[in-house]
Amino acid sequence: MSVQYTPVIWNRNKIFYDAVLLIAVALYLYIYIRVAPGYEDVTKPIDGAILRMRAFGSCAFLMLTIILCIGPLARLDRRFLPLLYNRRHFGVMTAGIAAVHANYVLTWYFNFSPVDRYVALLSSNTSYGQILGFPFEALGIAALLILFVLAATSHDFWLSFLGAPIWKALHMFIYAAYVCVVLHVALGALQGAGDPIFTSIVAACVVLVSGLHFATGRMEARRDRGEETAKASLQEKGWLVAGEIDEIDDDCAKVVTLSDDERVAIFKYEGKLSAITNACAHQNGPLGEGKVLWGCITCPWHGYQYNLTDGRAPAPFTEKISTYRLKLIGSTILLDPNALPPGTHVDPVIIGEAA
Amino acid sequence: MTWRQTKDAPFYVGYLNAVPKQLVAFLVVFSVSFAGGLGIAALALSSTQNDPGDGGFQWGNRFENAGIMELRPYPVLRVPADGETPARTYMLAGQGKRGAFNQAETHENGSVTLRGVPVKRGDLTMIQVGRVEALEEGVAGFTPADPVPLGRWKLTGEICDGKCYAGAMRPGQGLAHKACADLCLTGGIPPVFVSSGPVENRNFFLMADKDGNLLGDEINSLLALYVELEGDVERLDDLMVFKVDLATARVLK
Repeated sequence: MSVQYTPVIWNRNKIFYDAVLLIAVALYLYIYIRVAPGYEDVTKPIDGAILRMRAFGSCAFLMLTIILCIGPLARLDRRFLPLLYNRRHFGVMTAGIAAVHANYVLTWYFNFSPVDRYVALLSSNTSYGQILGFPFEALGIAALLILFVLAATSHDFWLSFLGAPIWKALHMFIYAAYVCVVLHVALGALQGAGDPIFTSIVAACVVLVSGLHFATGRMEARRDRGEETAKASLQEKGWLVAGEIDEIDDDCAKVVTLSDDERVAIFKYEGKLSAITNACAHQNGPLGEGKVLWGCITCPWHGYQYNLTDGRAPAPFTEKISTYRLKLIGSTILLDPNALPPGTHVDPVIIGEAA
Repeated sequence: MTWRQTKDAPFYVGYLNAVPKQLVAFLVVFSVSFAGGLGIAALALSSTQNDPGDGGFQWGNRFENAGIMELRPYPVLRVPADGETPARTYMLAGQGKRGAFNQAETHENGSVTLRGVPVKRGDLTMIQVGRVEALEEGVAGFTPADPVPLGRWKLTGEICDGKCYAGAMRPGQGLAHKACADLCLTGGIPPVFVSSGPVENRNFFLMADKDGNLLGDEINSLLALYVELEGDVERLDDLMVFKVDLATARVLK
């Protein structure tokens, strides 16, 4: 969290994250370009430019695959949440690696010609009407443009400037980029002479990304069904039964699903209960999977914090989120499903003072 | 470990430098696996790449020969027999993705001394033209032979640009190379048909249309694909010429 915009607010965890990333990428490129050619069964070496083009291209594809796996992995298992924390650096680096790949393509396949290389890139193959022979370069260009836009708008300035819903929607285009990249590979490199290892790795990546998203979707649906405790109460008209006090650990929350796009997090802390929206104002992170630290709700994604009673970020921060009214009857928690305006103070329910 | 945050489960906050102890071991194992996995993937992907063949520039074996420049319909140099070496016909290309039409048109049917660099793959040789000088006295006693018709053939294979396929690029064929091949042919590099079956023990053919004229954009949609083509084959010294009837073209895969 920061109240002013600086290019990167470094901390030890970010440095460690980026260091691991840089080491892994450097290792990949070094082995691909320097070590593995010694084990190739070739009559004459592959052109250096083509080798580097393939190295950077395949590296970007694998990086994008891993980036898309981080989200669902963190949903399935909390231990992967640290990978989410600095994912934008991963994305920016991927855009950079993809740009190097594109530059090798441009300065090799589209060079040495009287035609301008950018004109050649767009005009040399225009067989858009056929699948085999389709100008797969266009798909790569589309993916690269998306990656550039996402990298350029990855900073919190853009998140604040565009607002979380638009920013989030914009960054969902990462999936469009991945589809373009998969088609770029499938209609290009995969159409060469049979290479079972390359084909297997690409197929495994696509299955992994799809499978993890499918599994996460099922888990979320199951959770929503399990959390549909918010049924009309017979005792109090207009209030919903949200659950029992015993279901919530101290300093933790229970998430109640009101509708597809509205969830409420009910926190138990210091013998009290407070309810706020489940969506963090930063990137819609699941606050109900966070924890109370230093008297504030703390988002599990990037650590954004909010006061429990009014949903406001502690000064000097200015973010605020919706709050909800609660009532306790015996050990049963009742929830008023009408969200209050962001930042509205609501007195917490004191456990032990039930009606 | 599940998605749910419980009282005792570790809670990671990125900007707090202290990582919960329970997570440290997991993150170290993940980091090592991540870097190691990428390394193994690099080794697997790079070491199993397909052989691009033995083609390449013959920088240490510069070409210098006297002969007659012809357009058949692409620029070729007809070189007379020399001792036990029979007469030869070399396809010509310019620097980069350029053809040698300017030189060939200037010296069409004329005797020249041509210097250049051979690009050679097996028995396919393309000469990258350097300097061409007219020979006013001509090549003594040399009259190029007429083409020898070898009949009508149906061949399967790939249309490539003759220079990249010969080894100017390794690899220089396949769909990943299609746009480059397209650019080369537009620039005037002779198209070559690489056949999966031989005709008189030769698997590559200089291409022309069915009337022996230059091919145009009509081959673009067939370029770099596995296709079946029908046409007349003729032999020009040691060079095969495939006059394709594009109306018979069929994409096989």
